[in-house]
Parts: sequence; structure tokens; C-alpha cells
Amino acid sequence: METANLYIDTQNFELHPSGAMYWREQNLLLIADVHLGKVTHFRKHGSAVPQSVIAENFDQLNEVNAYFQPKTICFLGDLFHSYLNNEWILFSEWVKSMSAKIILIEGNHDVISPLKYEELKIEVVDELMVNTLFLTHHPEIRDGLFNIAGHIHPGIRLRGIAKQSLTVSCFVKKSNQLILPSFGSFTGKHIMDVEEGDQIFAVTDDEVIRIQ
Amino acid sequence: MNRKELQHIAADWFETQGWTPFAFQKQTWTAFLQGKHGLLNAPTGSGKTYALWVGIVLDYIKRNPNYASKHKKGLKAIWITPLKALSIEIKQAAERFVEGIDVPLTVGIRTGDTEQKVRTAQKRSMPDLLITTPESLHLLLASKDYDKMFKDVTAIVVDEWHELLGSKRGVQMELGISRLKTVAPKLRIWGISATIGNLDQAKEVLLGPQSEAFKNSVLIKANIAKKIKVKSIIPKKMETFPWRGHLGLHLLDEVVPIIKNSRTTLLFTNTRAQCEIWFQKILERYPEFAGEIAMHHGSINKETRIWVEHAIRDEVLKAVVCTSSLDLGVDFAPVETIIQIGGPKGVARFMQRAGRSGHQPGKESVIYFLPTHAIELIEASALQKAVVKKEIEDRIPYLNCFDVLVQFLTTLAVSNGFYPKDIFPEIKSTFCFQTLTEEEYQWVLNFITIGAQSLQAYDEYKTVEIEADGKFKVNSRGVAMRHRLQIGTIVSDAIMTVKYLKGGYLGSIEEWFISKLKPGDVFTFAGRNLELFKVKNMQVLVKKSSQKTAKVPSWMGGRMSFSSEMSELLREELYLANASSGKSKELKALSHIFERQQRESIIPGPDQFLIETFKTREGYHAIFYPFEGRFVHEALGSLLAYRISLLSPISFSIAFNDYGFELLSDQQIDMQQVLDNDLFTTRFLHSDLRKSLNATEMARRKFRDIAVISGLVFTGYPDKMLKSKHLQSSSQLFFNVFRDYEPDNLLFQRAFTETFAHQLEEGRLQQAMERIATQNIIWKDCKKPTPFSFPIITDRLREKLSSEKLADRIKKMRVQLEK
Repeated sequence: METANLYIDTQNFELHPSGAMYWREQNLLLIADVHLGKVTHFRKHGSAVPQSVIAENFDQLNEVNAYFQPKTICFLGDLFHSYLNNEWILFSEWVKSMSAKIILIEGNHDVISPLKYEELKIEVVDELMVNTLFLTHHPEIRDGLFNIAGHIHPGIRLRGIAKQSLTVSCFVKKSNQLILPSFGSFTGKHIMDVEEGDQIFAVTDDEVIRIQ
Repeated sequence: MNRKELQHIAADWFETQGWTPFAFQKQTWTAFLQGKHGLLNAPTGSGKTYALWVGIVLDYIKRNPNYASKHKKGLKAIWITPLKALSIEIKQAAERFVEGIDVPLTVGIRTGDTEQKVRTAQKRSMPDLLITTPESLHLLLASKDYDKMFKDVTAIVVDEWHELLGSKRGVQMELGISRLKTVAPKLRIWGISATIGNLDQAKEVLLGPQSEAFKNSVLIKANIAKKIKVKSIIPKKMETFPWRGHLGLHLLDEVVPIIKNSRTTLLFTNTRAQCEIWFQKILERYPEFAGEIAMHHGSINKETRIWVEHAIRDEVLKAVVCTSSLDLGVDFAPVETIIQIGGPKGVARFMQRAGRSGHQPGKESVIYFLPTHAIELIEASALQKAVVKKEIEDRIPYLNCFDVLVQFLTTLAVSNGFYPKDIFPEIKSTFCFQTLTEEEYQWVLNFITIGAQSLQAYDEYKTVEIEADGKFKVNSRGVAMRHRLQIGTIVSDAIMTVKYLKGGYLGSIEEWFISKLKPGDVFTFAGRNLELFKVKNMQVLVKKSSQKTAKVPSWMGGRMSFSSEMSELLREELYLANASSGKSKELKALSHIFERQQRESIIPGPDQFLIETFKTREGYHAIFYPFEGRFVHEALGSLLAYRISLLSPISFSIAFNDYGFELLSDQQIDMQQVLDNDLFTTRFLHSDLRKSLNATEMARRKFRDIAVISGLVFTGYPDKMLKSKHLQSSSQLFFNVFRDYEPDNLLFQRAFTETFAHQLEEGRLQQAMERIATQNIIWKDCKKPTPFSFPIITDRLREKLSSEKLADRIKKMRVQLEK
């Protein structure tokens, strides 16, 4: 497994193939768009998505937590896909097994009452400001500040000679913004228009690759 | 009344119309009155409706001699048509007869276009004859007490059965009929089919193998011989005629005199995009045709289509540019000439289209073939021979369609509920599910009840419930409603309606095309240049645009493959290119291309298998020429790419057409190694093919249909915005999670089975490889692309296969920058 390193304003970040990003100075793990509960939501509505995908989400969370052992985990929104369902029980158990503090920046999918999160001692906020970095769910631009966000589920289309092409999830870093890929196992990706000067880090099963 | 007297009623009425019954019509009446089931083989416009409808009415008179005073209301016969557009004509014909002989039978239509209030009225009181589609029939099976509604039905007629047979709509019909056989014990089952290669099998599929109905059935052939004249449009200047392309616009000027010399001409194109372009270009170059030419394809709104159909009948149009949307249906008497633009890819389709012209007795059908690139002239020449030999393709029925079964069982659970042990024998009696095992059946039952094969803690899957007495039933109204919206097996991309900003409906368009446009972009649709204003609630709002250049929606589909018979004719035709005599005028016109091919490579003979390699800016090309039709090439291309990829890590882009296939790579293929390793062997064919499928996108594409039909993916309906946003997901994503987490799922496995049976035609592949094994492989290392290779290497629809590590591939690539 190979991660990639990145600096933002002299701060050290480590990008993980799962789509999570670790902030070394703050001992903080950032994870965007897990969409827990989505599988159950689909199943509840008669769409038989394999149940083992649910476990996969938690396995991934455990793996990345074990790798970085952060003091804090911050979810950049869309942690839970829809209304309360039985996956909440599994999520509660997972939260209790964590020693890290958990913060949720509310996303558009997060419709579950903040009170439910507070019961689990999860802090729910609209955004988070740390030094000159501000963390949000929806990407936002503010003068003089660097934004870290999710929501987009970024992916890129790559082309090579001999008519080769493929799409892959990625981290996208612009001059004043970084967008994380979606972490969940049952989430799609949105193919981005890449602009000159953007830094792209493609995510594969076991490697993060800087493309440009 | 005895049979003779009954038939007199019909014969007398025919006389009042100035007609004489055809032998096949009388045979059908007799067979129906004898209580037989069967298949009638008769072409469009031959009087096939009266062959069956008269039989049904006479049978009614026989059973109800006092019908005039004691007519009992309720459904007595069902007429299935694959196209709702045909239902009005059938209704008119049916009413004409019953009104003519004064029998109080009523005729009604129930399709997706039928208004809600008419449907509600029908539910209260059904017409005696109901004309409907397979989908609407299943919607009736999804309504409560359907068994009472159908109990007195004496006949079901499946019109244009050949159109349904080779599709999942055919499976849907098989299942529907299997249920009707039980609830309507007096049911007689009839199909009407145009000529196809496997008519006997078509009857067996419709009636059920070894069923009582099949044992008591007949096949009646109309034997109406129609003379077809095929002419090729040969470019005057062959030297400037393109080597590739699929539009055929170079020959636009040649088409105009043909149109002018004929009463009405239909120009058949293979895709809707091509249809739009041709229509525009004719008007651009010949503005005098304005008002005299029209366009007809499946995405144009219904009113316009109906207007066009009427206008053809009333002879106000000189020409109509159309797609397969005008393949079927009623007669257009004024149509004298057909022009087929580009290869029709099937003899049956070509003959069907030819048959749309020259309907008056004694007249011959005239069809022109317009090649879109030079090599297609070989196809033109082969087609002429095929028409003479009547080499008509089979329609291959589907087997074990678990996706359709899932949908059907849910349908039954939505209406009355069902007991699995009652339904099992009915399902097993169908052709599609004749080999269904108890285990597979149990799998499907588990799937619709617990959405898995074992019960898991905390699971909330909910569709079909098992009630205390063992009845399978849907009790949730939400589940029932979603299921009804989703009934059907025709899967298309999400469809959006196109409307003017100021109001006014223009038609419907696939979402993926619109998703490529930004507001302000101009595109061509329904013959107009439109500017995209915005997309909102599945509606595409547009403004008129005066801009000349525009993007044309390139609808997918229309990629057909040659049958093995046609491929053989094509090969024989090609081999003639080497001969000194016996060449058709099409082949003679190609002589300069053949000379060039000969100079740069060879024209293979019957005992030769040609491989060409060359390098261009794009990379290293290897072209193989089996001349076996597109589907076999798709399979063989993937297979060979897979086998080569085992030798060393390599990535391929694979293209194919009806003549051959290309493997394109950024590395040179060691062809000598390919030949030395005997990579064309039929050993391990099945397992290698299977592995190559895992590596390509083919099965993934098939899975899309399966996911929608089985209800895994909810598509909703145009114009009906459902609160389904949180349920939206792509079938791609579904494919990935099944592949990674539940690969033994029967629905997931279906994607591979269907790719094998219907896309790759494994049987034909085997034969093709055995033939290749007897040939000498000629490998030509060429300096540049040869004439034969050109149409293949320029094809943009491609398959991919790679044995390189994802990370290694990524490192060789670049991001596509925004233009």
C-alpha cells in the first residue's frame, strides 16, 4: 500500500488509497461521503443490493483508522445517506468501538437529527475552521482561506495512446481548495473537468498516484 | 350453425366488400373453429387480421347462437401488438367486420397511451376484444382479480410474433400466456409472424413445448410470393467515394431523381441520428422539397408521427426519411420505392423493408441499396443473392431469463398473490423456463422475499411478503406502485422530454446525450436546430436557434450483426474479387480498391486467413479478417486479446465490424509468437471466453437491462417525477458491487449467460474457429492502413481489455483537459 504526501500552507497531509486524508500536525483524519445506510435504504425499497457491502464500509473505516490512529476523525458530510434505518445500529456500535473523537460536518444527505449524533457523542457542525483552512461539505471559495470539501465524488477520465481510456476516483487540489473522493463502497463518481494547474491524485486499490 | 354455414357468413361479407378470401384466411377460420391453436405465417398487409378475427367472431356466434338478444358482456379475446401505433388500424379492421355482419362485439384499446379515465371505465366493463401490448397485458395481471377478468377469454392473438420472439418481450408473453392458460380454460393461442428462419420453433415457443396446445396446433402459411427488385446505387466516381463512414451523404444527389420518379419513397436509415442528418441535408441542398418530405423515428412525438403516417397514406409526401419505426404496420399504398441507406445487416429486415413498397396486386417491390462506404458495395452484391435465395435469419428465443421471472412473480404478488407450488408447473411449461430447477426457483423466491439467499440481522428488505398460509403477496402500496411503473422489458436510458421554453412538446431524448451538453449549446432534434436553455425535472427546455452547425444526437443501437448465412454469402462475394469473371457490377465498381488492397496486402481466397499489421500515429494495429459478422468478431477479438494478454502485460482497444476486427495497442504484438502459440485454438474456448468477458465491458452493458427488468434499478417514468432521488444509482455501480460482493447472484450471472448466447453466439464462434483452423494464415506486415482495414480502424465504438496493473496504466496516461 502506498500513500501520497501533500503540503497545504506548510501543513502535512497524507492521502490514503481508501480516499481518506490524514492531517499530521492536527492528528486528524478526514473522510468524505461514506453514505452509510444507502444499501439498507435501497433494500428497504425493494432493490436487493448485496448486504456484504455494508460490512465493507465499516471494514474500510477500521482499516484506515488503524493505519493512522488519529486523535480526531472528521466526516466531511454525507455520512449517512438517508433517513434512520437499521444501519444506524451498526454505526452506533462502530462509534462506541472508536477511541477517536468524531466530528460531522453536515452534508445535504445528512437528514438525521443532530440529537441522534449527540447521543453518540458526535459533534455536528456546519463547517470547521482550523488555522487558515476551513472544512465544509459543499466546496466553497473564500478569500484568503483554503477549503477542504467533499460532496462532488470526483473522478477523472484519463487518455493514453492507442485509444486507451479509463476513469478513476481522485483527490483534486486547486490553488485554494482540495476535494476528497467519496469513501463509501456503494457510491458513484462524477467525472470532473480538469483545469490547467489542478493537482490530481488518482486512487487505486493500493496506491495513490499523482497524475499532474 | 355448422362450420360451413358459419364460414358462409364471412364469405358473404367479404363479397360485399368486393374481396375474395385467401386460402390461408379460410384455413385459419377452419382451424380456429376446430379449436386448434397455431401460428399464421403471413406478411404485413396481406389480410392477416381478418384471418384470425373472423375466426374468433364465427366461434363466438357458434357458441352463442342467441347473441343478438343474449349478449354477455366481458372480455372474450385479446390481441397483442408489439407497437401501440398499430392498434388503431387493428381496431378499425375488427370493427368493420362485426358492424358489417351486425354482431354486438365491442373493440377497445389499452396501451401506454390510453387515458386514465378510459382505463378505469375498461376495468369496470371490459370490451369484448381488447387490443393491447405485452406490457399492458402484464399491467392487467398486476391488478386485483385479474383472474375474473380473463376467465371467459377464448382467444389470444399475438401479432408480429417474430418481433417479440427474439427479445425479452417474448419471454414476457410466454409467461403471460402460461398464466392465462390456467385462468382462461377455453383459451386458444395464436401467433402471426412474418417469415423467419425458425417458424416451427416460433410456434413451439408461443404455445409451450410439449403442451396440450402445441399438440393440437397448426402452422398455416400464406405463401404470398412477392417479387423484390434490388438495385444498388453505384457512385459515378468511385475514386472519390470514401473508404469509411456510415452516413452515405456522398450519394445524396443520386437519391433525388429516384424520389422524383416515384409516387412516394421511404428512405430507411439505421439510426435516428442518421435519419435527422439525412432529412436536414436533403432540405438544405434541395429546398424545393420543403413540405413534401418528412421524418419519422421513435423519438419524435406521437402526434407528428401519426400525422406523417396519414400524410403518406394520403399521398401528400414525396419522401419520408425514417428508421425501423416504419418497419411494421399498415399498408402505405402510395409507396412505390424504398431506399435503404447503409447495410441493413439482415436479410429479413431488408426484405421486410422492400415489402413496404409496391402493395398493389401484381406490382413488384423496388428497393435501392445506398452504400455508405466503398466496401459496403460487397454487401450490396451479397444482399441481392440473399434475397433471391431467401436466406432469412432465425430469431433466437431467450432461455432462463431470471430477470423477467423476478418481475413476473412480483407482478402476480402485487395483484392476487400466489402460491409458489401452483405457479411452478406453469412457469416450467414455457419454452424459456423448461429447464428451470427447483433450486433456481427457490433462489428467485428468496430473492423477491428477502433480497438475498439467507436472512441477515437488521435487514429491512421488503417487497414480497409470505403470508401465514404461504401466499406470496405484496402488501405495501409503495412497492406495488413502483413495480407497476417498472413493468416491461424494454430498457432504455432515462428518457427526458424535449419542450420549448414557451411550451410545446417536441419529443423525447436519451438523458446521456443531454448530459453532454451545456446550456447554450445547439443540437439538432426533430429536424430543427435547438438551443439548450436548461434541464429541469426530467424536462429539456429549448429555444429555437438560427445557428447552422449543431450537434446531432447519436443514438446508440442499430448495431446489428450479419447472420451466418449472410456472412457466408459475403465471403463468397469477396472471394469473387480474385476471380477473373462472374463479378457483379458492384464488384466491378470496386476494382480500383481491390487493386490497391492487392498491392498493399492481399485479397484472401477461400483457403486463406488474412492478418495485417501496421503502425500509425495511434499505435500498433493488428487487423484480422474472418468475415464472420460483427458479433463473432466481437467474441473472437476479445478472446484473442485475452490470450495475447496472458503472454505479457498489455492493453488493447478492440474494434470490429462485419468483415474483421482490430487489436490496437501502444506496444507491438509479437505476431510470430501469437502464431507459434496457436492462439486460434478451440481448446479451452469456453473458459477463455468467460475470462475475457470479465475483462471487458460487454457483460456490464448487458447487466443494465437485467438490473432494470428485475427491479434492482428504479428508473421511474418521464413526466412523473417521483421522489426517487435517494434511490438513484447507476447500473454500473450495481454491477461493481455484485462483482465484488455477490458474484454468484443469478441475476449477475445472467449478464454473462446472455452475452454468451445472444451477443457472442458461442456456437457460431466455435464453427468460425474450426473453419479458420483449415485455412492458411497469411500475415502481412504493411506500411500503412489498407483499404479493407479502413472502416475498422476508424470505428469509434470500442471494447477494452488489459492485463496491465491499473497503476501502471494510469502512469502512462494523461488527464483529458477541458477544451
